[in-house]
This record gives sequence, structure tokens and C-alpha cells, in this order.
Amino acid sequence: MSTRSRLTPGLFFGRAALIVYLLIMVLWLTFPVLLILLASFQGTLEVSFSAPFNLEAYKTIPPSYWEAFWFTIRAALLATGIALVVAIPAAWAMVRGKLAGRRAMSNLVLIPDVVPQLILGIALLTVFIPLRLSNNFVGVMLALVALSLSTGLRFAEALLEGLPDEYEQAAQSLGANKLTTFRLVVLPLIAPGIAIAALFIFMQNLITFELLFFISGPSATPISIRLFSDIIDRGIVPYAVAMAGILVYVAIAFYALVAVSLGPKYMAGSVMTRKG
Amino acid sequence: MNTSNNVAQPVHIDRVRKTFGEFVAVREMSLDIAAGEFVTFLGPSGCGKSTTLKMLSGLLPQDSGEIRFGHKRIDMLPPNKRNIGLVFQNYALFPHMSVAENIAFGLRMRGWSRAAKDKRVDQLLQLVRLEGLGGRKPEQLSGGQQQRVAVARALAFNPDLVLLDEPLSNLDAKLREQVRLDLRDIQREANQTTIFVTHDQVEALVMSDRIVLMNKGGVEQVGTPYELYATPTTEFGARFVGANNLVAATLDMSSGTAQARIGADLALPITTCAADLDKDGTTIWFCVRPEHLALRPWNKEGEGQFAGRVLDKIYQGTTVLVDLDVTGLGTIRAERAALEVGDLPIGAYIGVHIERSHAVARSTG
Repeated sequence: MSTRSRLTPGLFFGRAALIVYLLIMVLWLTFPVLLILLASFQGTLEVSFSAPFNLEAYKTIPPSYWEAFWFTIRAALLATGIALVVAIPAAWAMVRGKLAGRRAMSNLVLIPDVVPQLILGIALLTVFIPLRLSNNFVGVMLALVALSLSTGLRFAEALLEGLPDEYEQAAQSLGANKLTTFRLVVLPLIAPGIAIAALFIFMQNLITFELLFFISGPSATPISIRLFSDIIDRGIVPYAVAMAGILVYVAIAFYALVAVSLGPKYMAGSVMTRKG
Repeated sequence: MNTSNNVAQPVHIDRVRKTFGEFVAVREMSLDIAAGEFVTFLGPSGCGKSTTLKMLSGLLPQDSGEIRFGHKRIDMLPPNKRNIGLVFQNYALFPHMSVAENIAFGLRMRGWSRAAKDKRVDQLLQLVRLEGLGGRKPEQLSGGQQQRVAVARALAFNPDLVLLDEPLSNLDAKLREQVRLDLRDIQREANQTTIFVTHDQVEALVMSDRIVLMNKGGVEQVGTPYELYATPTTEFGARFVGANNLVAATLDMSSGTAQARIGADLALPITTCAADLDKDGTTIWFCVRPEHLALRPWNKEGEGQFAGRVLDKIYQGTTVLVDLDVTGLGTIRAERAALEVGDLPIGAYIGVHIERSHAVARSTG
């Protein structure tokens, strides 16, 4: 018997429809990104293929933009790191510790994701002003941590739920205490998923706007706020489009970094835990 | 080669009990296991065997009772302080570590030097016949090989006790037969006190020094494989271990020796295995193993024979199962060599001789 099924007209049209469907979806998802990338080489969102593509817009990016860019990268990286360092052990305690009220806990930590960032921003501002944490790096970073924590916890919880507890039981029966078990067994096994979580959290931090709108100020301006206020004041200036392009490169670079270090198996689909 | 540096420990389980809410998983279990002994907990799922294993390993706290290794009480220690080697049903090999790293994990936790670790790992790879595979990842090994790595990992640090939780259930039938003999040999060579948990009575009979037959959280019978098979003391034992024909009967002690009274006018001599089965009129099962039914040509004048009509034959290769309708006993099954009954036609009448029988107390049917 042939392993290839015979292509009937019904099957043919079915497949064609599926391919068209997927193509439209991919186009819809990638169109804005492609537009920004093309536009960044012309300095305007009205991309024309008769006009030349060049790096002029990139050259005109002012120092204040670069300052905001590096400010954001630093804050986003640090917040991602802190959030994961806090979230992973917390998730382990919640999933394996069989703590009372765990369901309530799991739901509570989702609140920063569910409540509009606008409201979260106002709330944080009322706390941050007396603490002198508004309009500075630490304040912005801590606001990002609040947001990252809930994403980090959600990822880590799902990863640990998916990890059979026999690995931990085996490690303990072999003489490892809880901490050693966590360090030598749990962490390496969920590492691929954590890398993907880090990627998502970092991206989210890189472009967070509403929340930071309240926390930021003249001496602590993330790139999202800088772009927004410039576009409001001056319209879509060429260097703003170029900076948008740079943010896309950062995203692609981080994605590639995680993808290469994990291998394609972990990136596509939902495989996030190492299995034997 | 003696791979064990320590003296094997006897294990004492003393009135250990575990409940989950209303459900009694293990009721007051007591058992003494000699140093170096291979003991199997045998029983159907839900009988409490795995729960007992979890309590021994410390993964589940007992409600009451004591567990001791020699004179040392261990039941209040956490799992990592008990010095027990555990082999999981799914092996639970660390997928991110090599075979050698897996085996050395327990040694690493005990602070062995690198040289000592390497030497011990080589020793164990040799014991489980996986020389040269130390550098592989578990996923690069077959199921049987993974199973042996799990055993090596559990033996490496000279544990006081090794627990095996249905370690053969993920292997295919052919491999399982080989691995159970391997396991037994490895255990003997290492002189390691071992508890093996299974629901498979053949595994239990083949591998064990002693079998603990468990049912509904309690111990039904403890004995050597031979004792459990030849002299079951309970109805559960008679049904669970090996094939058996059970015929409802009453115990008749009137002649001084035990007899099974079946129906109105049939009385057969019988062996009672349980010590307390001696009261006249007790309802019993009259039990005959299929291989203890001899089939001979029907002989009108013959003594001690029953008339049986062949209902069906089930060919199994070496032997044939013969289902018979026997006057006075009902439908029973015999197992005879294929050569002996191969040409026996279905519907034929044949003389059935009971070579050996035993009785257990009857609570049902």
C-alpha cells in the first residue's frame, strides 16, 4: 500500500484552503513588523518602492533616544532577572509545598496581568512618590518587576506542574536535600522553559508603556515613552521610525539567542521541559 | 565480586498504619526482613503495597508504627537521610545527566572523592552489564538498559535497603523474563536487603526469598514462593497466586482427619493450610490446582476417579488447558502436557483423578 494518500479534489481544495488560511494569518502577524523594518530605511511610514532605501534615518537618531534605549534595556534585563529569581523558588514552593490556599495564591499573583496597567501605574505611583521612586531608574525597574513577576510565576508554575515529581523524589532518596534537589535536578530540567519565559518577560518589559507612563519622568524615560511623546509632539519623525526598527532587531536577536541555545525543538510548540 | 562494603541490615516494620481520610491504605502491618533477604510485596492494585513502600522510603509519613534498620529507628527521618535505594516504575533517571552521573548522584551527595566515585561507577556498570555506556544519556538507552541504570544508581551508595516499585512493568514480556532473573542475580551478588513490589504473581514466585501477600491494606500470608503456591491459607491467596479450581464444600472432621464434604454424598480427604481451620462444619473451598488433576481413560471399576466430559481445550504450546464437566464437582480446569492430551476429542468422557488438594476458609459464594 502506498504511504501517500491519493489526492482527491476534495482533499486538494481542503489543503489549499488550509494553506491560504495559514498564509493570511502569518501575513497579518508579520505585516506590521515588515512595514516598520522597510519604513526604517526610508524614514517614513509611507513606504514607496520607487524611493531609495538607506540608513539616513538611523544616522539622525538623537542622543536622548539612545539614552532612553539603553535605559530601557538595562531596566528590562534587570527586572526580568529579578522576577525570575524570585518567581521560580516561589512557584516551586507553591506547586510542591502543597501550601494551604495555593489556588488563591496562584490567582492573586495574576492580578497585575488582569488589572489594566493604567490602574496598576496609578497605584504604584501613589506608593512610589513618598518613597522617592518615581522619575528614576529604580522606580521604573521595580514597576517592571511587578509586571514580570506575575508572568514569571505563571510560567514557572506551569513548568513545575508539568515536571513529574519522581525526579525530585529520586534525588531525595539518593541523599539530596531540598535545596540541592532544586539546584541539581529541578532547575536544569525546567531551564528550557525558563529561557523562553525570560524571552517573553524581557520583550514585555522592553515595550511596556501604560504602566511606565506614570512612573517615568524627565530623568527616567524609557524608549516607549520617548517615542510616544515625540510622535505626539512632532509627528512620525524619521528617527522615531528608525528606533522602532532597532527595537525589532533587539527582539529578533533575543529570540535567536534563545532559539539557538535551546534548539528548535523547544521554540516551536509547547515543549518546555526536558524529558527522558 | 562482592560489591557491598557494608554489612546488610535487617529491617523491622512494626505496626505501621496509614489512612487517607476514611480509607485504610495499610492496617497495622508488621514484618521482619532478614539482612540480605529479597522480599516481595505482592497484591492487586490498591492493596497497600506501594503505600508501604512510600512509607519505608520516607516519601509518605505513616500515621503510626515504627520502622527500624537494625536497631536504628528511621521512620522520623526525611527521605534523604534514610539511606534507601529506590527504583521507580518509570526509573526517573535524570535526563540531563549521563548514565555515569546518574549512578554517581548518591555518591556525590555523600561527598565521595572523584577517584572513588569513578571506581564505584565502573564497578556498578560491570555489575549491571553496561560497561562502556557511562557516557551516554538515558534517552540513548533501551528500556531494559535504563532499568539497569536505575538499579545501579540505587545500589551505588551501599544503601541499607533497596526498594523496587514495579520496575519491570514498562518492559515487554520477553525482556521482562530476562530482567527479572538479572535483577535477582544482581541482588544476590550485592547481598542487598531488598523489597520488591509487584502485582505479577509470576515475578514474585520467580524472584523472591519470601513473599508478603497483601490485600485491602492487610497481610494475607507471608511465606516462601513454594509455601504461598502449595499451601495458601486464605481464599484470596488461593485465588490470587497461580490458577486454581475452587469448589464450595464443608469441612468434615468426624472421621478424625479433615475431609471436604461436597454436596450430599461426596467426601474427599483434604489438607488444611491455615492453623485455625479445624472446626467441623466450617464452610470451605475445596481447591485443586489444574496441574494436580490427572486425566486417564475412563475405567468402570476404577477407584477414586470422577467421570469428566471434555468441554473445551486451550492450546498453550507446552501444555493444554482442558475444561471439564466433572460429576459432583462442576466445571473445572486441568492443565496437562500437550503430548498427553493433544488428541483428546471435545465431548469425550475421561477419568479425572485428584492428585492433591487443599482447603481454605470460605467467606463468599
